[in-house]
Amino acid sequence: MFAISQDFAPPFKLIAPFFIIGVLFYVVTAVSGLALDASTMSYLDSAVLGWVHLFLLGFVMMVIFGAMAQLVPVVLEVGHFGVEFFYVIWPLLLVGTLMMAGGFFAAPALLPYGGTIVLISMMIFVLDIFLTLKKVEKFNFVMTTVVVANSFLFLGVIVGIILALGYAGQIDVDITALLNGHVYLVVGGYIMITIMGLSMILLPMFGLSHSFSWRPVEIALAVMSAGVIVVVFSSFTGFTSIAYLGYLLSIVSLFIYFYQIAILYKTRARKEHDIYAISLYFSFGSLIVSLLMGTLYLINGSEPLLLSAGWLMFTGFIGFLITGHLYKIVPFLVWFERFSPLVGKEKVPMLADMVPTKSANAQFIFTVIGVTLSAVGLLSSSDALFKGGISFLSIGSLFLLQSLMYMIRFR
Amino acid sequence: MVTKEEIFSAVSTVIDPEVGFNLVEMGLIYDAEANEEGSAIVTMTLSTRACPLHQMIVQWVKEAVEKIEAISSCEVNLVWEPAWNITMADDNVKKALGG
Repeated sequence: MFAISQDFAPPFKLIAPFFIIGVLFYVVTAVSGLALDASTMSYLDSAVLGWVHLFLLGFVMMVIFGAMAQLVPVVLEVGHFGVEFFYVIWPLLLVGTLMMAGGFFAAPALLPYGGTIVLISMMIFVLDIFLTLKKVEKFNFVMTTVVVANSFLFLGVIVGIILALGYAGQIDVDITALLNGHVYLVVGGYIMITIMGLSMILLPMFGLSHSFSWRPVEIALAVMSAGVIVVVFSSFTGFTSIAYLGYLLSIVSLFIYFYQIAILYKTRARKEHDIYAISLYFSFGSLIVSLLMGTLYLINGSEPLLLSAGWLMFTGFIGFLITGHLYKIVPFLVWFERFSPLVGKEKVPMLADMVPTKSANAQFIFTVIGVTLSAVGLLSSSDALFKGGISFLSIGSLFLLQSLMYMIRFR
Repeated sequence: MVTKEEIFSAVSTVIDPEVGFNLVEMGLIYDAEANEEGSAIVTMTLSTRACPLHQMIVQWVKEAVEKIEAISSCEVNLVWEPAWNITMADDNVKKALGG
């Protein structure tokens, strides 16, 4: 018989803080968009860097780490080396992210300290993952993505610390050059490759997709890895001209990944248009638009195009991919903890019953309007449009928080 | 002796909480048999190898079959070949999932 992975599943009380804090950061990030000015924005502005770190560390990484605490035993088919590590990962990531945001928005001297705390948090995570991987006997594609992604994360965080020291004025480094390497290692190398791997577990599982080829995503992984390595090499050596090859490779990789998603979509058995499905439609729609804008940026170098593409990639693609999955993963975790012991003894709810349809739909509508308006605002350098979008996004984020608390408190 | 149909009927009380259908109408139960001593074997699969509920589902199947009066024990044989696909499900499931 197949090994039983959930023998090693962590308790809900360990995972819940990751999701609650992650969504709180999502709310803070949405509202803090009001501090940005789309008419004068540049991607190197300290306020923009602060916002990006709040979003990526506070929301994206926090939720991914929580999800990985649950999914690693499912994906790797072995128990965590030290699941208790996760009790310290979220407090460190929380404090470190707040200090880094404070550093970018107000006091740069806080950056190395915040960065070091984030580094410790991530190193503990990476340590658990690698020591867990040692127990794996046979590697499949998803396990390979875990290895590659966490290797890039390890390097990306170290480069981040060097950057933080430089930003605080404690060492002399070329911040612009290293920033590219840092962004590519963490966003392309860790987040995107993790998304590729987890997509191949979660999307077929929830969509009941079967008999599909894995070849496109295998190619996407190789091409993304090559892209990250080229950009990092360029970043460290100063050969800026080859960085464009790396940018191009990463865009091509994500187009191939999108093709894989289209295959999963075509072979799915479940065709309901619930909050999960429509969130994914908007997510992958944003990915394609962002990639097209990114390609145009490589041709004409327009910064508003880059900012708008980045906005759609973060709040559209990654944001909706995560929020959509929260409507699947959180009910499951709560159900598993609270209702599974009652099966066969009394009537238990289905997972779909635990999703608050009205607030979930409100979250979807407000956030779609918010993300789209803000993207147009960034593209046209119109601060009024951008702020209008941020207002919708902020309301949407509050509906997400309401939905999350409803699912967690469901009895 | 307990028949295959009786075992299938018992297993049909087990519902997958994610899709809301029972395991038999999902087409996840491949075979079942019982001997005269009251030992049953259910051969089944799951819709995905990564199913985080699979330990529980196997346990629910075992408990459901052991509720049959003439069954003293049940063993669940979880297999991955042939791999499940939607064509194995009942028409009502296909129709409902089809959106």
